[in-house]
Amino acid sequence: MSGTREGGWYPLMLSADLEPGTVAGSTVLGRDLAVRRDREGQAHVWDDRCPHRGMRLSLGFVREGALACLYHGWRFGADGRCVHIPAHPDLSPPGTIRAAPLRVAECHGLVWASVEEDGPLPEVDAVAWVPVRSLRIEAPWQDVARAVGVPDGHRAAVLDRDVEGRVLAALLPVREGACMLHLLAAASAGVERLHDLADWGQDVRARAEERAGQVFLAGVVA
Amino acid sequence: MSELVLHDDELDEDCYRVRLFLSLLGLEARRVAVDVVPGGEQDSPGFRAVSPAGLLPVLRIDGQMVCGAGGALLALAHGRPEWLPEARAAFARVAHWLQFAGGPLRATLLMRRACLFGGVGDEQSARRRAAVGALRIMEDHLAHRRLEGGTWFVGDGPTVADIALFPAAALCRDWGEEYSAYPALRRWVRAVRGLPGFVTMPGIPDYG
Repeated sequence: MSGTREGGWYPLMLSADLEPGTVAGSTVLGRDLAVRRDREGQAHVWDDRCPHRGMRLSLGFVREGALACLYHGWRFGADGRCVHIPAHPDLSPPGTIRAAPLRVAECHGLVWASVEEDGPLPEVDAVAWVPVRSLRIEAPWQDVARAVGVPDGHRAAVLDRDVEGRVLAALLPVREGACMLHLLAAASAGVERLHDLADWGQDVRARAEERAGQVFLAGVVA
Repeated sequence: MSELVLHDDELDEDCYRVRLFLSLLGLEARRVAVDVVPGGEQDSPGFRAVSPAGLLPVLRIDGQMVCGAGGALLALAHGRPEWLPEARAAFARVAHWLQFAGGPLRATLLMRRACLFGGVGDEQSARRRAAVGALRIMEDHLAHRRLEGGTWFVGDGPTVADIALFPAAALCRDWGEEYSAYPALRRWVRAVRGLPGFVTMPGIPDYG
């Protein structure tokens, strides 16, 4: 993925889709991540693997400001260190028991994580962006980027579409042949415009998947 | 209301639909366990005498047997306008999603059963594609609903449509679909989980 101007920063999800006190999963280039927001609103991104038994932390839940693993309830604080082991409530867990945190940033209405080498965050007009939606697309991210008009070498861009109002598109490569497309609109957009953009996203998805030979049609089998 | 009786399989998501709705309504039913896996009891003469087509669950309500989740949910929602709106347009929207839950969305249930009990991988089958397509219809609808500030499938509060649709989304990990591909569904699943009286079934985590 080198060659992109955004260095190692990847747009995981819309900020609006990560509510305080919740944890979600995300996958970047086949690497599974747990994304959570604490009660104070700060986002954290860790590898999606409990250091205890390898359980996916994204299946867990937030308790007392810490992320609790669903398997044995081990809890991990903001820096990834284990703070509580329910089976040994009096034990102060050693600092070596630690989930692996990634660098995280929030801007332009998106949660970003630094997955590879550091680099600058993508430069986007610092206007207020309102979330439209995210779509999973079973097609290569580069193909979707080209289709919506994101310049080569970028994962996010303000689109130059011949419609009124600006659109921010950001692409997350999930794995080979699958990506997430995040869409946001300039804050001046009305509800009708947001619906139009959401429909447009579905259209982009359908076309990209048709090119990739992927068809997901409900109702065709009993 | 005379005693409610539910012929029920703990692992079956259709039965769970009705158990969940009963719990949200604060109702208790006497449960009669039906041994589907491995017993195959749904095809026994005894059960077929209760449910001629072998449909689960069977709800006995006001002395009447109702077979299948869709019918049982409607029977329970009857006379409760907060769960089943009376105005024709809103009723029609709920009916639309109940039909969807009993129709195209069945692909998700079949996928889950194949993965849990069938013993064979079903990676790229037509059935999986139809199941993903059905989940996407829900995801797309909820993404649009959110743009106008809506949380639920129809109207301003949960309806019986949300209950009919819920298990397919909550259990999709059992056949390999991750919530990360469905952010709108994930938000809605959280909203359903937050309803007073919410209960889980095997496969839906209980955070305790």
